[in-house]
Amino acid sequence: MRAKVGVYICECGPNIAEKVDIDGIIAGLSEFDGFGETELVVKKYGFLCSKSGREFLEEEIRNLGLTHLVIGACSPRDHDSTFKGVCGRTDLNPYLYRIINIREHCSWVIDDVEKATEKAESYLRGGIARVLRQSELFENPIDVNPDVLVIGGGVAGMQAALSLAAEDRRVSIVERSDRLGGRALELSGLSSGTFRGSDIAAGQVESVMGNPYIDVFLNTGVSSVIGFLGNFVIELLSDEDGATTEISSGAIIAATGCAVYDPSLSGSYNYSDRDDVYNPLEISRMLSSEGGVALRSGGRPENIALVHCAGRDELNYCSGICCGVMMKTALLLKESIPGVDITEFYRDICVPPHEGRQLYESVLEAGVDLVRVESAGLSGTTVSFREKSGVEDQRSFDMVVTAPALIPSPDTADIALLLGIPLDDTGFFQEAHRMTDPSGTTTDGVFIAGTSQGPRGILDSMRFARASAGLILTRLIIGEKLVPEVAVSEILEAYCTGCGNCLEVCVYGAIYSDGSKGVSVVNEAICRGCGNCFGSCPSGALRTKHFTNTQLYREVDEALR
Amino acid sequence: MSQNGSVLIIGAGIAGMKAALMLAGASRKVHLVERLPIIGGKVIKNEESFPNMECSTCMVAPVQQAVLQNPDIETYTYSTVDRIDGGPGCFSAVIRKKARYISLVDCIGCGMCFDPCPVSLANEWEEGLMPRKAVYVPCSGSLPNVPVIDASSCLHLSGKQECSLCAESCAFEAVNLDDSDQVIEIEVGSVIIATGADTFDLSALPNLGYGILPSVYSPFEFERLFASNGPTQGEITLRGSGTVPRRIAIVHCIGRTEAGYCSSVCCMYSFKFVRFLRHKLPEAEVFNIHLDVCTPGKSYQSFFTSLDDRDTTMLFTPSIDDVRVTENGPSLTLSYPAPDGNTREIEVDMVILAAAMVPDRGLGEIAQMAGIQLDRHGFVMTVDRESGSLQTSRDGIFVAGTAEGPKDIQNTVIQAESAAGQALEAMSAAAAVNKERASGS
Ligand SMILES: Cc1cc2nc3c(=O)[nH]c(=O)nc-3n(C[C@H](O)[C@H](O)[C@H](O)COP(=O)(O)OP(=O)(O)OC[C@H]3O[C@@H](n4cnc5c(N)ncnc54)[C@H](O)[C@@H]3O)c2cc1C
Ligand SMILES: Cc1cc2nc3c(=O)[nH]c(=O)nc-3n(C[C@H](O)[C@H](O)[C@H](O)COP(=O)(O)OP(=O)(O)OC[C@H]3O[C@@H](n4cnc5c(N)ncnc54)[C@H](O)[C@@H]3O)c2cc1C
Ligand code: SF4
Ligand code: SF4
Ligand code: SF4
Ligand code: SF4
Repeated sequence: MRAKVGVYICECGPNIAEKVDIDGIIAGLSEFDGFGETELVVKKYGFLCSKSGREFLEEEIRNLGLTHLVIGACSPRDHDSTFKGVCGRTDLNPYLYRIINIREHCSWVIDDVEKATEKAESYLRGGIARVLRQSELFENPIDVNPDVLVIGGGVAGMQAALSLAAEDRRVSIVERSDRLGGRALELSGLSSGTFRGSDIAAGQVESVMGNPYIDVFLNTGVSSVIGFLGNFVIELLSDEDGATTEISSGAIIAATGCAVYDPSLSGSYNYSDRDDVYNPLEISRMLSSEGGVALRSGGRPENIALVHCAGRDELNYCSGICCGVMMKTALLLKESIPGVDITEFYRDICVPPHEGRQLYESVLEAGVDLVRVESAGLSGTTVSFREKSGVEDQRSFDMVVTAPALIPSPDTADIALLLGIPLDDTGFFQEAHRMTDPSGTTTDGVFIAGTSQGPRGILDSMRFARASAGLILTRLIIGEKLVPEVAVSEILEAYCTGCGNCLEVCVYGAIYSDGSKGVSVVNEAICRGCGNCFGSCPSGALRTKHFTNTQLYREVDEALR
Repeated sequence: MSQNGSVLIIGAGIAGMKAALMLAGASRKVHLVERLPIIGGKVIKNEESFPNMECSTCMVAPVQQAVLQNPDIETYTYSTVDRIDGGPGCFSAVIRKKARYISLVDCIGCGMCFDPCPVSLANEWEEGLMPRKAVYVPCSGSLPNVPVIDASSCLHLSGKQECSLCAESCAFEAVNLDDSDQVIEIEVGSVIIATGADTFDLSALPNLGYGILPSVYSPFEFERLFASNGPTQGEITLRGSGTVPRRIAIVHCIGRTEAGYCSSVCCMYSFKFVRFLRHKLPEAEVFNIHLDVCTPGKSYQSFFTSLDDRDTTMLFTPSIDDVRVTENGPSLTLSYPAPDGNTREIEVDMVILAAAMVPDRGLGEIAQMAGIQLDRHGFVMTVDRESGSLQTSRDGIFVAGTAEGPKDIQNTVIQAESAAGQALEAMSAAAAVNKERASGS
């Protein structure tokens, strides 16, 4: 069939019309014979983006039987989707249309009418050349599995499951240990305002166990993950008997939580298992045990030092929760051991806005000695410190409690590898975008929640989990299909040497190697068409649909003619 | 009663916009109400955001565009909510669209109407650092890029004088001086409050000289001074004299005592300012007068520790409340208590006050209108906190972002997604209950 390209130039009121001689371009293009057999229809219009402009275009496409459409107007950022929509309402495939920016690139930046016109005309010629090389692409909606897999049964994982589980959506929680609850279950001291962490976690465990739409796998890990948003297949491995179970889900939430930093690993805190040096988790356990808080020797401590920021320098981050935890620990110790002297060595007070000054004031009221230091170190239960004024000193105590800096749980790196998501320089999961997409990851369909992404408290971990759950509710909609990106990449088998370069550069993990044929293959359901791989292929086997070499070369050649 | 699945969001900052996009993604109808003529919130006042020093407008513009182009999001700029009646699943709300006098449909944002306007006054959005006309857009790069006529200063609309110069200069007949407020009633299933926060009112602390000494700056004034689309095109020059500052003090924790909490972002934006200064004024000497260094989270401390002695001199003071700024010829003297108990002085020519984040000054009114309670600090109170809920004291109304308390962009976005998720959850649960009831009866 002979191609018939409609070229429509928008005046954009005076915006384009005043600086570009549109009639001259129409005359020029109509006379131009560089496109061989192709028939060109060239017209102008006041505002193509207006309702009447769009209707005009629709009629033109239908009545003239256009095979391709080129719009000379503004930036594609403004109206690419507008004109794609116009095509969508006709039989013209939207991938046979192209918008050429003759406003921001020409009329708005070139004062000389002749030059602006010349540039606009050459751009348009390039656009026509390119659109003739474009091919039809079709959307291919896929069925999705609404079910969700949650890895990790701490407060984050459980909250996500509770938010998602419903009659038409099952959730599986995979928990490596022998119980749900995570760290919070061990926090019997007050955790936030008047809430005990252990109560919160225990309440959740009860709701999870009572929910008919949640399946819990204890003592179980994840051994393999394949698939993509909407269709994952996951193999679970039981730590008890080595048995495997295969489950499928449409999305995955990684909520593998945190661990507590061990300060004795650093040079500044020298102590061993024999010294009475603990973290607040251990204190919390002692407090809820029958014997209460006791020294290894059996006696009650008469004086206790609380050392903040243990690990802050080593990790190069402030966990943001330990100041609060330490102050609560001080209060609990004061309460449970009558007459005990407590000294808190702190560097900065960093408590979340909600807690306010109240906590700090109650610590002062309780008679805790607060000492601000520049730095502090340990030698057994002796604290050596430098005050802000530069004075150095050391004091010995019966017992020392160090701040619980949160670090990633030991499995974080393995899980990241399985899910194809990166870790950041602190070893926590890395977000899709630190600010604007903190719950997403580079693997579509894999979300993160809670302390697996970074240190935070219980309530924030649960809110985070609700965010990831919410995103899944908007992506896996019951009864709706998913439409994957259409302008994806493909690898031409005949040219591919199987070097694997492209596998390295694809951040979405969309390329796999087909061992039997010795070639690489793009999984079109995962590929987002970013084009990273395109430049990495030394043998020209990679093609990004809708952005091919031929399309680019023809456009440039024609524009520069 | 039938359940309504659409959502009203008040405030189109990063929280409101992200929540709106998420809900629209779930095929929900969203009504997004913003009191300013533009959407984007406070983040677009910053040229760069910590910790990645990413271009904020580049980060937010795609979000703004996506909101404006989404057919499921009805955006009401220059609007407020007058009333919210009903309950979860069946709220009815009244939106007041203030007269804009410029058609959002016909205007193409060419800006031809600005020059002819004879009125000139301080541009509030630019922190008063540059003038605007009565017909104006708050900043370059405004979205929607459609001006508004401020009726109180417009000669014609305030009845001072006959004038229609803007209308005459518009080639698109987009100016309508007869425009009037519009009242729109909508039905929604849930409401999300995302009205953001303000910064501490610095004029309450006369010892710091803000509002008296021209070289003492608020944090947003400094953000605008650094912004390449701002009043000085990004040149850091002093108000009044126009000279380039050489010795600059940034004072942390301003308003912390009064507010009763640490905002947890001011240290970070203060260190961001150090980077701004290092970048634009490499010769300048910078001092940070600080108390606690609060850099919570996995990526903030390294933002601080990567600064070195050439970037700033860190001066610890045990009492920010006793910091004083006084005039000293063409420059300023800043005095502060040092750790050894003595008072020290430094001479500087610019002071930037790192003000705490405090409840938006209009929040009390919103709370009363919406019938929700505020917490002891004056932010929106949440109930059912032990489940990480963002539900306010009124069923079906949720809160997100800095309206709930001070926080950075990342945590604002997490809350926005969380509140949107909770709204979805609540509405689908309500729908399921309804279905059951319907099939049961
Ligand atoms: C000493 C201490 C005191 C604290 N005090 C407070 C406080 O007072 N207030 C407060 O708000 N917060 C406090 N916190 C923080 C609080 O514990 C966390 O915010 C919360 O527990 C985070 O929940 P989570 O679900 O993200 O992670 P976790 O609680 O760590 O749960 C993660 C779960 O995932 C499981 N898991 C890990 N890897 C795998 C795998 N590969 N496969 C399957 N399952 C896996 C783990 O077994 C665990 O059950 C404290 C933390 C500590 C360490
Ligand atoms: C000086 C300074 C610098 C900062 N820099 C950074 C940074 O670099 N990185 C970072 O992560 N964070 C930074 N922050 C924090 C960041 O600004 C906030 O996290 C973010 O703006 C919060 O977004 P929000 O949507 O909650 O509120 P806002 O951005 O305040 O948006 C709220 C919106 O609601 C509208 N609104 C208010 N009341 C009503 C009403 N009644 N009706 C209708 N609409 C209403 C407002 O006009 C506004 O558009 C900084 C904060 C300050 C003070
Ligand atoms: S939260 Fe407090 S104790 Fe923990 S690292 Fe930060 S400043 Fe130190
Ligand atoms: S285009 Fe991008 S997402 Fe697709 S295979 Fe290539 S690198 Fe991966
Ligand atoms: S009102 Fe008219 S003159 Fe003013 S910006 Fe809009 S289109 Fe241009
Ligand atoms: S009518 Fe008002 S806004 Fe328009 S030019 Fe006159 S004073 Fe300015």
